[in-house]
Amino acid sequence: MKKSKMQILKNGILNENPTFRLLLGMCPTLAVTTAAMNGLGMGLSTTVVLIGSNVVISALRKVIPDAIRIPAFIVIIASFVTIVQMILEAYVPSLYAALGMYIPLIVVNCIILGRAEAFAYTNTPGDSFFDGLGMGLGFTLALTLLASIREIIGAGTFFGISLFGSGYEPALLVIMPAGGFVVFGLLLGLINMLTNKYEAKAKAEGDKLAEEVK
Amino acid sequence: MADKEKNTIDWGYVFKVGLILFVITLICTLLLAITNSATAPIIAKQLEETSKQAQKEVLPEATDFKAMDTVDEIAQNVGESIIANIYVGTKNGETIGYAVETKPSGYGGEIDMLTGISTDGKITGVKILSQSETAGLGAKSTEPAFYEQYTGLDALKEVTVIKSGSVNGNQIMAITGATITSNAVTTGVNAAEKAVQYITTEGTQVMETTGATGSAQ
Repeated sequence: MKKSKMQILKNGILNENPTFRLLLGMCPTLAVTTAAMNGLGMGLSTTVVLIGSNVVISALRKVIPDAIRIPAFIVIIASFVTIVQMILEAYVPSLYAALGMYIPLIVVNCIILGRAEAFAYTNTPGDSFFDGLGMGLGFTLALTLLASIREIIGAGTFFGISLFGSGYEPALLVIMPAGGFVVFGLLLGLINMLTNKYEAKAKAEGDKLAEEVK
Repeated sequence: MADKEKNTIDWGYVFKVGLILFVITLICTLLLAITNSATAPIIAKQLEETSKQAQKEVLPEATDFKAMDTVDEIAQNVGESIIANIYVGTKNGETIGYAVETKPSGYGGEIDMLTGISTDGKITGVKILSQSETAGLGAKSTEPAFYEQYTGLDALKEVTVIKSGSVNGNQIMAITGATITSNAVTTGVNAAEKAVQYITTEGTQVMETTGATGSAQ
């Protein structure tokens, strides 16, 4: 069954959200989500690279033999990221100043390699584009959500804007690495709980429908 | 026959696959080389401009900056290896101050920073050029609320860090939860002070000796 472009897009954002459902790219997720702006920046940079690498790998999928696909992916992704980095630094220095620190992290982000292997290598460039876009947006949403929670509780600010005034004593632990694990774990639990409820409800309705048909 | 095939290596295939990987790597390397040669000069120019701008920010009165080539010697003489660059700031050809780039170690690695010190012994500004401190904690060192504390302090006396109470004299208030970062930035400022003190007190000697052989004894 062939999925429509919309389905591919939705799949990346919800059903197979790289952070909350596939648990891919945990290292940058925990490292950069100390402030909402960082989460958004990392997410959007990753989206651009993901779309690019997905399309390139997909276009080359017939040229790359199965046996050497992993080294080929790594070489292509690393080159692509480095070229983007150099062009950004030379021609859009303001954007580079804001996103520069995330770019080297993207190379080692397993979402990129994961999607190349799981999707782009076996699908058309068009579909791969939407897979990259969906996965990237899903990653961006997840990072921004996690980073917002950590920033609001841990620093009392949201995108750098002070929320509670000077009387608020920020819970610094939440911004520290240990707090990252705690917040992420709780968020993951909450999302699993909601998903289970939703699935149970969908199943119950399905059963009911089947009963009625009988 | 089938068994035999399983155990022998198909060299033809190995070479074919190896060749394809080689070609992919070659193309990627070529693309990288082309992009690099096209962007490297532009990047270098941009970095220089950013650096010039930062120097102007920490020493606003100066109109022209020139890097000193005796940095290593000065760093050695004052015993501060974190001094990376010293720029002489001039106005109408007259030296009015120095912008000293130092690289003290913070919590998350090296902090690249610039300290402006006027010839009359005042700190005219501090700017963090790059850092990798914890966001929300040490990264607050890049906010004016922190680094502007140094502006106007006495550059002839050591700056110290306090964690509570109110600042008086040559003190700054540490960032809450980021004492290491606050100390690191202050270390950078103090090293810059030492360098400038050295230049202003022994300046003439340094100029003379470096003019000859570059070894001051």
